[in-house]
Amino acid sequence: MKHSTSAFSRRRFLQGSAAGAGILAAPAIISSKALASSGEVNFIGWAGYPALAEKVFPAFEAATGIKVNFKELPDQDTMFAEGKVALEAGGVDVLEPTIDRWGGWNSNGLLGAWDPAKLAMDNYLPGLADGSAGERSRAGDALMYVPSNWGTEALVVNEAEAKLSSPPSLGDLFSPDNSVVLRPHSTLAAMGRWLDATGKLPRPWMDGYSDMGAMVELWDIALAEAIKAKGNVVQWWSGENEANAGFTANGATVGLCWDSTGYNLRNDGYKYVAPAEGAFAWHQGFVLMKNAANVDQAHEFAKFVSTAEGSAMWAAAFSSNAVGKGSADFIDPDVAAYYGGTFNDEALGKLWWWPEQSAEFIAKRSEYADKYKAA
Amino acid sequence: MQDLLRRYGPGLTLIMALMVAFWLLMLVIIPNMTLFEQSFRPYLPVTEVGGPRDTYSFNNYLKVFDGSIERSFLGFTFTIPVHVLTFWLTIWYSMVVTVMCFLLAYPLAYYMAKIVNPRSLPTLILLLFIPLWVSEVLRAFAWWIILAFRGPLNWLLLNLGLIEDPIRWTNMGYTGVVIGLVYTYVLFMLFPIYNAIQSLDTNQIEAAEDLGAPWWKIHWRIVLPHSKPGIASGSVMVFMLSAGSLLVPSILGSTTSQWFTQTINQWFNDALDWNTASAYAFLLLLLCTLFVSLAMWVFRVKLSDIAK
Repeated sequence: MKHSTSAFSRRRFLQGSAAGAGILAAPAIISSKALASSGEVNFIGWAGYPALAEKVFPAFEAATGIKVNFKELPDQDTMFAEGKVALEAGGVDVLEPTIDRWGGWNSNGLLGAWDPAKLAMDNYLPGLADGSAGERSRAGDALMYVPSNWGTEALVVNEAEAKLSSPPSLGDLFSPDNSVVLRPHSTLAAMGRWLDATGKLPRPWMDGYSDMGAMVELWDIALAEAIKAKGNVVQWWSGENEANAGFTANGATVGLCWDSTGYNLRNDGYKYVAPAEGAFAWHQGFVLMKNAANVDQAHEFAKFVSTAEGSAMWAAAFSSNAVGKGSADFIDPDVAAYYGGTFNDEALGKLWWWPEQSAEFIAKRSEYADKYKAA
Repeated sequence: MQDLLRRYGPGLTLIMALMVAFWLLMLVIIPNMTLFEQSFRPYLPVTEVGGPRDTYSFNNYLKVFDGSIERSFLGFTFTIPVHVLTFWLTIWYSMVVTVMCFLLAYPLAYYMAKIVNPRSLPTLILLLFIPLWVSEVLRAFAWWIILAFRGPLNWLLLNLGLIEDPIRWTNMGYTGVVIGLVYTYVLFMLFPIYNAIQSLDTNQIEAAEDLGAPWWKIHWRIVLPHSKPGIASGSVMVFMLSAGSLLVPSILGSTTSQWFTQTINQWFNDALDWNTASAYAFLLLLLCTLFVSLAMWVFRVKLSDIAK
């Protein structure tokens, strides 16, 4: 054995193999998920609805064997921000925005298309995934959005103390007889719709959502009127808890709030009332990330929430309305009675679906909300 | 650096220097530089980033002058951009908070440094520190509950017969915000002043008393000038923390109050326009720094005084 060949010494070998092992291990260090199995789906949804993780995900896992990794976020602006990061970093498959928002997400390059063949489009109740809602779920021919549940924003009123006109109207929010809890941007829209219904606008309120010139013209009017009536506002809300506290701790008598707020307060002397102009209605659903890793599992997930039982569970978790046919059989009678009391067929026919709002529109809308708050 | 080398040797010194460099570079300089660069670019869809419309400009900064509203003050009516107004009110109420913190902290600091029995001092400091152990969120919420329309304060005042109808404490302009900020940041004023007064030789106070100076003159001529560095550093901290606070104004704000940080937050989370949000954040940082420098120049305080 000659020493001249010992350039390859024990020490060099150790150094070399350590470096090699480091390179081999690198994907595991960078992402433990890189080689992980795909019996899972990474879902970003709404925070504050514990029944999702307690009931719905276990039922889904029992039915399909797919595990849901759930990340809770408080609002969809935060979800968008998270999605924007995930576009680079990965790790997100499905998110749950409202129907008026996914367009903005898509124009930011976040979303991929659903494959209708892997879903069960016949499961959905009429009017939710077809008709105008169906058109609004598509970009060209591609299906970008499938519904998960829907709900309304209408008047929550204190039965004993609220002074309502007959029939109740959005105008009751601007009456000095009531103490109100509001959120600025919905309030301006409510003012606009009320003025529109009473014939005080130069052109239809809806024009503002498609034409920025019309938006400025109409929102200027709504802002001026809302500022005049601002004296009766006792508190702003931006989420469920604040809205609730506005009534219970700060003594508001009327509010423009989500249906879940009315539901949670139903045993404390509050009622949920659809205004004569029609309740604001939203439509929430699933979108698929462009770089989703678990595409098939994501489809299974969306499909599960369209079944009678799955959609009923999903809606129950949000105290909202289900999207699946036959879901009524699975809904808590308490919830069914609550919604039945607010929405008869006429009120359902008058539902006013939030139109799509572009990024430019939302920036301008924030400016109006700022002016309203500062006044 | 030489001391460090002699004491810990080259290995440990290198590690320490690298860790400090990492902290500064990765956690302070690079994030801020990124935001700074972003603040000059327009908000575009992801697909257009780097495209022909993605150019540098001051447009995001100039948005602060958009959207004028009419205000009247002392009988004058004028129009002012809504965000400029918000900025001015943020500065103004941060000053109010600073002054109120000083008024609360100075007597207490003097009492702690010169009057109280040294044996009960640790207990006193402990009592003052206890609120700091509770998270800022909880402290703000606690005040929200106290001030609520159907909260304990109104209940107490009603039962004592001091008021006939409950008062909307949380809906009186900036009252709630100022109360919350004073409560949250008063200790940042107290301890620097306490440190400064503590280093004052008690003989000077006694000499002044022997020579017949009234109590206010002792404070004006001896204690206050001596504690100036402490007051300055306390004021800078309270002012900057107040102007930069998001939590307290969000929780305790009324229907008419708006803090500049809330406007920044709206740009980030409501309009999703991170570029303009960055521009606003830098405006706040820059103008507050300028304002503090100006105040220090007016009161003839040097940066080195504060660092003491």
